[in-house]
Amino acid sequence: MKNNKYLFPIYKNNPDLAYFDSGATALKPQIVLDKMMEYYTKYSANIHRGIYAISEKTTEEYEKAREKVAQFIGGENSEIIFTRGTTESINLVARGWGNNLLSGDEIVSTVEEHHANLIPWQELAKRKNLKLSFLEIKNNKITDDLEKVISEKTKILAITQVSNVLGIENPIEEIIKKAREINPEIIVVVDGAQAIPHLKVDVKKMDADFYAFSGHKMYGPTGIGVLYGKKELLEKLEPVNFGGGMIKEVYLNRTIFADSPDKFEGGTPPIAEAIGLGMAVDFLKTTDNQEKMIGEMIKKELKLRPWIKIIGGGDSIFTIAIDGVHPHDIATILDSENVAVRAGHHCAMPLHEFLGINATTRISLGIYNDENDVKKLIKALDKVWTIFTKK
Amino acid sequence: MDDLYKEIILEHYQNPENRGEIEDGIEADEANMLCGDKLKIMVKCDGQKIVEAKFSGGGCAISMAAADMLLTKIIGMTLEDVKKIKDEEIEKMLGIKLTPVRKKCAYLGLNVLKKL
Repeated sequence: MKNNKYLFPIYKNNPDLAYFDSGATALKPQIVLDKMMEYYTKYSANIHRGIYAISEKTTEEYEKAREKVAQFIGGENSEIIFTRGTTESINLVARGWGNNLLSGDEIVSTVEEHHANLIPWQELAKRKNLKLSFLEIKNNKITDDLEKVISEKTKILAITQVSNVLGIENPIEEIIKKAREINPEIIVVVDGAQAIPHLKVDVKKMDADFYAFSGHKMYGPTGIGVLYGKKELLEKLEPVNFGGGMIKEVYLNRTIFADSPDKFEGGTPPIAEAIGLGMAVDFLKTTDNQEKMIGEMIKKELKLRPWIKIIGGGDSIFTIAIDGVHPHDIATILDSENVAVRAGHHCAMPLHEFLGINATTRISLGIYNDENDVKKLIKALDKVWTIFTKK
Repeated sequence: MDDLYKEIILEHYQNPENRGEIEDGIEADEANMLCGDKLKIMVKCDGQKIVEAKFSGGGCAISMAAADMLLTKIIGMTLEDVKKIKDEEIEKMLGIKLTPVRKKCAYLGLNVLKKL
């Protein structure tokens, strides 16, 4: 079995760490950090401004990163907007598209969304007096009778590709196709935060209108994310961040905005982070991934333990509950064995409510997890059970 | 670690002395939705003195055990006295060292009591 741990410097400082919280944020490989350091130490200028060598170099590297992201998801360069992350990407759509909606229009989302793909729509609905309704789930899958919720009045469908709790991949291509059969004008906004580190994403093939994701969950830096948007829609999307770098001409009383993507990237962007993200794309494309095999091992071990209830399980996310043990206590005991997992609602409170559970413990995989991590995880889970059933 | 989940805490978590309801007392509650914790505390006073205290709700072992132990401790005290209880006394009562995150769990009961 191949081991990718040596590519991640955090293991030099924490050799015993079994990290199972990649769904929250992934660890960073050395080459991404080196690439960012290269920017800071070799050509650390601003973009699109200076007429001197290192500024030209910075602009070139920044735009090269955009090109890498574009190729990675099957979009064009001008369709890739750099943001701070998934949350900011979705907020940009919700705010910048709002003026195309009229009172009485409808937005449809799902009960399994991360708060980042729910609250921006709640706020938009409040502001524009829109109706917000939700697709439900059954056996952890989005119900397929879309026409019960989506109608001709539905102007936006906001949906995640992979649930951050259930770990299940939604048949997004099929859902988008069906939604367009009901309303050809519908705008589909896909939250790709949990999909992009694990799946081959092709925005054109799935026919998403907007696709949002974060750099830090795909082995890139924090503070950088992406909003993909179809070219013709980006022309209609209004910028929400006004200032330097996003203009063509400015007069005292009016401004002509730049074209996409510059129009949406007002102010100095996170340059080092964007360049780092470009390297993270290269890293993901070229590194052997054995998550599926590790996931199978975990699934097998979990199923051997009847006291573990599997709430959700895909290939790289396993969400569990243990009767009589609060997730915080599970996480604390796991931490005592150097096993890092997430406990709580995972920013998906409505989903927990829908499932009728309080909080859960989430085990999420990354490219570095190996057989040894699985052994530590299972040993630590057994310790939880021993502690809470002794006497 | 094994200290954190020592017997006395697990005992109070699994077999609490003060879980229940008081119909005609005063009550306060607090929810930490992010953790999935909810705690309601009800007390009954005779004059100034607390004569009965119960809690309901759910949460982690630390928050529930701390609340249970605390409710036994406050019998005979006045609400004024209770408001003077310091956070550190909770740690002392539990007899364990807490990380900053778990301190929030441990102090939940005291926070609710101070709302009364």
